[in-house]
Amino acid sequence: MKETIGSFVRRYRIYLSIVGAVLLIVFPVTLGTPYLIQVMVLVFIYIVLASSLNLITGFTGMFSLGHGAFYGIGAYTSAILALGLGLPFWVTMPLAGIFAALIGAFIGLATARLRQTFLVFGTLAFGEIVRIVIMNWPDLTRGPFGIPGIPAPTIFGFSLKGYASYYYLVMVFMALSVFAIYRLYHSRVGRAWVAIREDETAAATMGVPVFGYKILAFSLGCLFAGLAGAFYAHFVTYISADQFSVTESFLILTMVAVGGTGSIVGPIIGAVILIVVPELVRFLAQYRAVFYGLLLIVVMVVKPEGIAGVKAIFMRAPGSIGFSHKRKKPAALGSEASQ
Amino acid sequence: MLGTVLLQQLINGITQGSLFALLAISFSLVWGLLKMVNFALGEIYMFGAFAGWLIFTYVVQNLLLALAASFVVGWALGWLIEKVAFKALRGVPHIASLVCTIGFSFFLKELATAIFGAETKSMPSVYSQTAITIGGANISWLQVLMVMIAVVMLLLLQIFFYRTKIGLGVRAVSLDYRTAGLVGINVDRVISVAFSLSGALAAFVGVLGAVYYSAVNATMGFVPGIKGFTAAVFGGITSIPGAILGGYLLGIIENLSVQFISSGWRDFIAFIILIIFLLFRPNGILGKKSKL
Repeated sequence: MKETIGSFVRRYRIYLSIVGAVLLIVFPVTLGTPYLIQVMVLVFIYIVLASSLNLITGFTGMFSLGHGAFYGIGAYTSAILALGLGLPFWVTMPLAGIFAALIGAFIGLATARLRQTFLVFGTLAFGEIVRIVIMNWPDLTRGPFGIPGIPAPTIFGFSLKGYASYYYLVMVFMALSVFAIYRLYHSRVGRAWVAIREDETAAATMGVPVFGYKILAFSLGCLFAGLAGAFYAHFVTYISADQFSVTESFLILTMVAVGGTGSIVGPIIGAVILIVVPELVRFLAQYRAVFYGLLLIVVMVVKPEGIAGVKAIFMRAPGSIGFSHKRKKPAALGSEASQ
Repeated sequence: MLGTVLLQQLINGITQGSLFALLAISFSLVWGLLKMVNFALGEIYMFGAFAGWLIFTYVVQNLLLALAASFVVGWALGWLIEKVAFKALRGVPHIASLVCTIGFSFFLKELATAIFGAETKSMPSVYSQTAITIGGANISWLQVLMVMIAVVMLLLLQIFFYRTKIGLGVRAVSLDYRTAGLVGINVDRVISVAFSLSGALAAFVGVLGAVYYSAVNATMGFVPGIKGFTAAVFGGITSIPGAILGGYLLGIIENLSVQFISSGWRDFIAFIILIIFLLFRPNGILGKKSKL
C-alpha cells in the first residue's frame, strides 16, 4: 500500500506539484476564511522551521532541542529593529536571519563536538539561556511584557496588513526556503553533510572538514529559523519570550521526527500534520500537546525515521532484528555504530 | 548581617542540593548501565509530587505515606518508559530512545495538565517550624528532615548496590553487559529494575520538592529535571559519589549566587555550568576518564 502511494507520487510528481501549487494560490480567494488563512500562514512558517531543523538534524545528524530559541532570536531582532530604529521589514528581516545565523555559528562552534545525547542537552540549555536573557533584559526586550505593535511589512508603498496578502508573502518565502534547502542538499555541501551523518570518521578520512561543515549546517539552519521568526513577528504583531520556549523547540523537532528525518518532503508532511490535524479535530485541539507527545512516542517506536524519512539514521545494529523481547539474549543494548 | 544571610543561603543550598543529588543519581544510574538519558525524569518527579499532593489532600497529611505512594508511581512510570522507549528500541541508535523519552516528557507534562489543570496547587506545609538557629540563620524541621531523608536514601542505595544480588547485577552490567550476560545475569531484568528504581527515586524527590516549595503544578518538573542532569554532569555522570557531590555543589552555588544577582537569573547559573562542563570537562569533577 505504502509502496503504491510512493510510486504513484513519484511517477506523477510534476503534475501533482503543479496541482498543489495552483490549489495553494487560489486557496485564499476561494474558500479561505481569515481563520483558515491564518492556519495556512502558520503551516508555511512551520514548514520553514522544520525544514531548517532537518538541515541540522536530518542531513548532518546533529539533534538540537534549541531551534525555538533561534526562531525567537529572529523574531525579537526584527521586532526591535523595526520598532526601535524604524527600519522597514525588508531590512530587518535579512538582519534577523543573519543575526540568528551568527549566534547559530557561535553555538555550533561550541557544541558541534558534543556527542548526540550531550548535544541535545547543550542546545536545550542554550535555548533556556536565550529565554532567560529575554526575560531579564527589560531595557531591550521589555522582559516579561513582550513586544506589541510590530508593524506589518510594506511593499511598493502598500501595507501587507490583510491575511490574504501576508499569505502570499509567506508562501513565496516558504517556497524559496524549501527550494534553497533542496538545492543545498543536492550540492557538494549537502553530500558532505550526509557523509558526516553516515560516518564522521570515514568522512574526515576522505578529506571532508567535518567541524567546518557541522558549523555551516548549524548556522544555515539558524539563518532560516531567524528569517521565519521575522516573518512570524510581523504577522502576529505581538511576541513574548514564552512563545519561543523549549515547547516550541520540541514541536519543531517532533515535526521533523514524525514527518521524516533527512528527506525534503518529510518536514513538510510533519508540519502539515502537526498544525492541521489538531485544527480539524476539535477534540484534539483541546489536548493538542498530549497528541504531539503521544505521536512522537508512537512514531519513534514504530518507524524511528518518520513517515518519509531516510532510514540510515536509525538503522538497527547488525544482529538485533526487530524487538528484542522476542529473543532470548540481548545481543546489542545500543548500536555500537552510533558511538 | 551579610554573614547571616550567606549562612541562610548556604543552608538553603544544602537542602536543595539534597534534591539535586538524588535526581543526579537517578540520571547516573541509567547512564551507567545504558549510556542513555531518560529525558522524562523531570516529569516523573512532577507525577511523584502530584501523588504526594493527592495523598496529602484526600487521605492524610503524612509525609512517609506520600513518599511511599510517589515511590510506587515513579517505579511504574520508570518501568513503562523502559519498556516503550528502550526495550522496544534495542539496537536502534541511542538518539531514537532519547527522542522517544523527550516525547514522553512532553506527553506526561500535558497529561498532567489535562488531568489536574494548569493552575498551581498549594501543598500543605509540614514541619515548617524552626528547629535550630545558628548565627541568626533559621533551619526548619523540614530542612533537617530533608537532608536526613536524602542521607538515608543514599545509604539505602549503597546497600542496594553492594549488599544485594540485583545490585551486584547492576554493577556487573554497567561494567560490561556482554560478559554479564554470559555469566548468567539476567541483563533485561537488571536494566528494567535499574530504570524503575531511577524513576522511583525521581518521584520520591518530587514529593520532597513539592513540600519544600509548597507548590505543585504540571510544569514543575522541567527545571529540576535539567538541573538533576546538570548536577550529574557537574560531579561526573559515570560515578554515583560524583553525582552526589555535583548535586550539593550545584545547590550551594545556585543559592549563594542568587544573593549577588537577581533571582531572575537563578536558572541561568545551572545552564551555564551545564554548557561549560559539557564542553570542557564532560567527565565532571569526579568522573572516571572515559570517552563520552
